[in-house]
Amino acid sequence: MAETAGSGRSEGDRSVPFEFKGDTYEWLGIWAVNLFLTIITFGIYSAWAKVRMRKYFYQNTYVAGRNFDYHATGLQILIGRIIVIVGFIIYNILAANPVTGIFAVIALLVILPWLLVRALRFNARKSSWSNVRFDFDGGYWRALAVWVIYPTLTFFTAYLAWPFADRAQRRFSVGKHRLGAAKFDFDARIGPFYKAFFATVAWLVLWLVIFALFMAAPFYDFVSAIEQNREPDPASALMVIVAIYGFIFLAVIPAGAIYRAFIRNILFNGAVLDGKHRFVSDMKPMTFAWILLSNAVLIIISMGLMLPWARIREARYSAAHTRLYPGGSLDEFVGDLETRTTAMGDAFTDLDGFDVGLPL
Amino acid sequence: MDILGHIYPARSSRRIDAVLRPSGGSVEVLGPLGEQLAHCLISELKIDPPLGRAPRRVTLPDGTLFETENHAAIEALSGPTAGGALHRFEAFHPRLVLVLVGIVAGILFLWRYGLDLMAGAAVALTPPPVISLIDDGVLTSVDLAIATPSTLGENDRRRVEAIFQRLIDDLPPGERGSFDFHLVYRKLEGLGPNAVALPNGTIIVTDEIVRLMFDDTEALERTIGHPVSGEDMLAGVLGHEIGHVVEKHGLRQLYRSVSFAVLVALLFGDTGPVVEDVVLEGSVVLSLQYSRRHEASADAFGVGLVERAGYDAQGLIDFFDYVGRNFGDDASFLSTHPAPSDRIEEIRRLMDQPSASR
Repeated sequence: MAETAGSGRSEGDRSVPFEFKGDTYEWLGIWAVNLFLTIITFGIYSAWAKVRMRKYFYQNTYVAGRNFDYHATGLQILIGRIIVIVGFIIYNILAANPVTGIFAVIALLVILPWLLVRALRFNARKSSWSNVRFDFDGGYWRALAVWVIYPTLTFFTAYLAWPFADRAQRRFSVGKHRLGAAKFDFDARIGPFYKAFFATVAWLVLWLVIFALFMAAPFYDFVSAIEQNREPDPASALMVIVAIYGFIFLAVIPAGAIYRAFIRNILFNGAVLDGKHRFVSDMKPMTFAWILLSNAVLIIISMGLMLPWARIREARYSAAHTRLYPGGSLDEFVGDLETRTTAMGDAFTDLDGFDVGLPL
Repeated sequence: MDILGHIYPARSSRRIDAVLRPSGGSVEVLGPLGEQLAHCLISELKIDPPLGRAPRRVTLPDGTLFETENHAAIEALSGPTAGGALHRFEAFHPRLVLVLVGIVAGILFLWRYGLDLMAGAAVALTPPPVISLIDDGVLTSVDLAIATPSTLGENDRRRVEAIFQRLIDDLPPGERGSFDFHLVYRKLEGLGPNAVALPNGTIIVTDEIVRLMFDDTEALERTIGHPVSGEDMLAGVLGHEIGHVVEKHGLRQLYRSVSFAVLVALLFGDTGPVVEDVVLEGSVVLSLQYSRRHEASADAFGVGLVERAGYDAQGLIDFFDYVGRNFGDDASFLSTHPAPSDRIEEIRRLMDQPSASR
């Protein structure tokens, strides 16, 4: 991927870069006030805080001098969140009982694709670029296939077929998006998906081996102490805690970043808008891993104070490695009339950590 | 005064350099050649609130979007607005230090009082059929996972029921009626001599605790070093469990952890899963102090109840004495229960007080 982008920047290059113009200090102020108002309203303001955050990052992201925008209102987000939290509590009560629990889990699996489609649609319709709204028109059955059925099937291949499921998900989630009337298309060979998959697995295995070599003794001491019902040696208990956090930071966070960077490159490089506008993303997985790892460490050390700085740093890096190759005029996109949508699915993805926003 | 910027016609991505020219009570939008593209009254403009230094956006009634970097001119046009106050409050300014202090104080307040308030409200809002559903659910799970049927004889069960009934009869009628108090017997290998209260009043009694108190009294007396009454001990334990039910500890802890998970998702959701997980894990350790507080509170409730029912609260002391000698007298910050010796001391203090003051 990196090679294509490198050669693409030669003379006669007609590409335009993505630009992120957000500023750390400015975002620090908005973030702190968001957090403060969220706390003193017992979480209610978080709906408006989310809108403000999205707006800030979208409005400060430019392509060809035109920025993105986010148009949801705090009230829409709040109503969606209330419905989802009530549903979450009911689900947990039902899930606690093994008899009703089976039905609760099945019901969730049936409803999950519907929620994700609603979330993608809501988000798309509330996002715009150059005054034209996005839209998403994926259907339920395809969503059920790519998010529930395919991932379940990969289980029987020991997850080795996961890249195929992932590609199917991206084809669906990117390919069903539109900018106004202009359709997005997405396709990619399976090779890059496997490259992302094996690079991530290799990173995790590497650290598993390192930790197994150096931490086996304290782990053994700790586990056998628990089994024999005696107090574990404080030194080995401390080592175990340090090792677990060390593994999260050195193995899990970079692994997630490596996978995200590979997939983001595949997404942009395989996406075509209106059959003529192309994109290039040339993020370096190891650089991105370093950014997310050092961000996480600094956030923890600073007790959260460095969060705004970390967010801006990540957004800047992502934008700096993304370009658009226009295949024609950017003045010709035409939007639909706005249709009504509710934020219910969106609230679900908020609370469950799905990322349905634009991959800016 | 002209405001320089650009427009997009309604629902179009076509970007046209333009100026917005206010005159009197209306505005007109002029194109690059000075031609009029749109016009309306100032009061008809939809002016988006400011956010950082991002371009100001003004929408005309015909859907034309005008964008400009000239914040001051738009402010002069719109006058002071609610969005403007928030925008000034967000500016990078020494005042932000106070906001950050406010955040820390707010988090501490939420942790100390807010979560309990939210949990209390949620407990009050939970309909009784749901609570009974929780009891059934937990009991079914216990049966599937760890319990085997009780092998207690009819005689032992009858003795336990008699004690339990005496305690229940001494509860205030309001509290007796709002729960479905009943005992179930299970053999729970891993749990040792113990009893577990579920939110709706189901109390699981292990075979081990009944055998210890009715059949193995000699072993008990050998461990503690003085004669004991099995009836008083069992009454003390059941009184403690009834305390958990009446004071709704199980439900409160459940809602406390749910409220916390939701709050963390709302506050730190945009930080990515790792920071969120670190915060949630830290909270598990910190939550244990609430569990210990509930244990102490149930002890106090139990002591009052057994004394009203005519049992000797010394029984509960003897039980903790036995637990401390047999299973260790530790209470690190990682324990769900206070140290047995601390609990004994506290019960003695309660017993020395005249009943009227309780």
